[in-house]
Amino acid sequence: MAKQFWCVGWLLVFMAANGGCGGESSEAIGKLVVTGSSTVAPLVAEIAKRFEQHYPHVRIDVQTGGSSRGISDVRRGLADVGMVSRAITSDEADLYGYLIALDGVCVIVHRDNPVRELTDKQIIDIYTGAITNWRAVSGRDTPIVVVNKAEGRSTLEVFLKHFRLASDRIKASVIIGDNQQGIKTVAGNPAAIGYVSIGAAQYEAEHAASIKILPMGGVAGTVENVSSGLFPLVRPLNLITNDEPIELARQFIEFACSDSVRDLVMEQYFVALSR
Amino acid sequence: MVEAVLPAGWLDNSYRSVCPVWLDRCVTLCVWGVAAAVTAVFVCIVGDLVWHGIGQVSWSFIVDLPRDAGRAGGIGPMIVSTGLILTVCLAVSVPVGLGTAVLLAEFSSDHRLFGVLVRRSLDVLAGVPSIVFGLFGSAFFCVYLRMGYSILAGGLTLACMVLPILIRSVEAGIRSVPEEYRLGAAALGLTRGRAVWHLLLPAASPGVIVGLVLGIGRAIAETAALIFTSGYVTRMPESLLDSGRSLSIHIYDLSMNVAGGDANAYATALVLMVCLLVINWVASVVADGCLCRRLIRV
Repeated sequence: MAKQFWCVGWLLVFMAANGGCGGESSEAIGKLVVTGSSTVAPLVAEIAKRFEQHYPHVRIDVQTGGSSRGISDVRRGLADVGMVSRAITSDEADLYGYLIALDGVCVIVHRDNPVRELTDKQIIDIYTGAITNWRAVSGRDTPIVVVNKAEGRSTLEVFLKHFRLASDRIKASVIIGDNQQGIKTVAGNPAAIGYVSIGAAQYEAEHAASIKILPMGGVAGTVENVSSGLFPLVRPLNLITNDEPIELARQFIEFACSDSVRDLVMEQYFVALSR
Repeated sequence: MVEAVLPAGWLDNSYRSVCPVWLDRCVTLCVWGVAAAVTAVFVCIVGDLVWHGIGQVSWSFIVDLPRDAGRAGGIGPMIVSTGLILTVCLAVSVPVGLGTAVLLAEFSSDHRLFGVLVRRSLDVLAGVPSIVFGLFGSAFFCVYLRMGYSILAGGLTLACMVLPILIRSVEAGIRSVPEEYRLGAAALGLTRGRAVWHLLLPAASPGVIVGLVLGIGRAIAETAALIFTSGYVTRMPESLLDSGRSLSIHIYDLSMNVAGGDANAYATALVLMVCLLVINWVASVVADGCLCRRLIRV
């Protein structure tokens, strides 16, 4: 048994050593680390896969962890490229941003909720706790369950910015993280209201999840309306770098912004840019 | 020995008067009810996974690469990554864990400052949320030791997380070995080291197995500690320094982040559960086999 154990040990050491050499030589032919927004990560992972098919000696490692992490990793040099699912702010003006796709943010309620439309004022009142019962917006007589995004989430920032709200004014019943969690929370509670990414919401609404997308300012929440610029709540999905990208990073970013990934953008239910 | 002091028939009379038959039955019913409820929770979860997941599971699902962010294709690389992460984790935590447990149980007295300090710190570590281990692993292994996002960093982070559980259960196992064993070993002229290796560890194998099973369970189910260490990459890993996505992170990503990923999330969860059962079974057979066989040989 002891012998077998040593064998496993040596095997591990060997693999680690082998990996060390592999890592060094692969740097010469190119390895790129991309970190950031969990919303953008599946899309960029698919783009990276296609890029690797074009350039077989290139390795692109896509990691996740949120937009803020993308920015801090790029700043600290831990990642070559960052992913950010919101507009670049004035604090981040030193970074180079590249727009790869758009995403709309829409308000969703349960499918059985009789409410057809909410005005901006009503949404603000619901999220600040001025309206606490669906009856006040011509719904059923049930208390409203307000689903909000966790602090630091880009969707939250886009939502707050659009409705000119401060984060501390929001009175939330449920705090959620990722998109699908928002959809599942609202689908499981007839009294809930939440806001999520349009592409995902549209997909789930078409595939039997019990949610309904509310129109915003009279414009239906669809990918087409985001694409045509009619829908008001839109956020950009960006790739960022700390310095002007060179060599591999530049090639990858150009590829990610090009038309050759248009189908991938649409497959992940985001809005491709019209060029 | 206690019975000798008490009058004959004590048990029958006083017990009956304190505890009438109906109450006795009630308690029995409650105990069975609680046991059934616990089992029902397990059966519900497993049933739900099988019900939703079995349709997607096939040989190609197990060996293929994922496509379309995991909505299509398989989970081959995730199974390999999970296996490698677990191997690294166990290769580090089992020797260190056994050593520390032996030290705590056999070579340090209960009241010595050192033993108390180690035990307290282990108890605190066992209660630390896994995301804290993840951030520590990311800062120490990935950044400071420059391993980057890698299976090695993930496995080492998990080893840190699993160690407290492993050490404490192995220590309890060794302590539960009767004192006569130690005295017998000493009478036969065995050194303490040999007594530990040939007698106490084999006799403590139930504790070792419990520690292993709990540790493996915690490691294989982990997402928060791995997402910042072993990473998110779905490529087939070529070395331990490659980033690799574990099955649990794949499930998390599919159910939380990918619209339409639920079906494959269920299927992956089913595969993960079967893996866990198989690994636990193998771990207990191996631990039992190699420890108990030694006991008989002595």
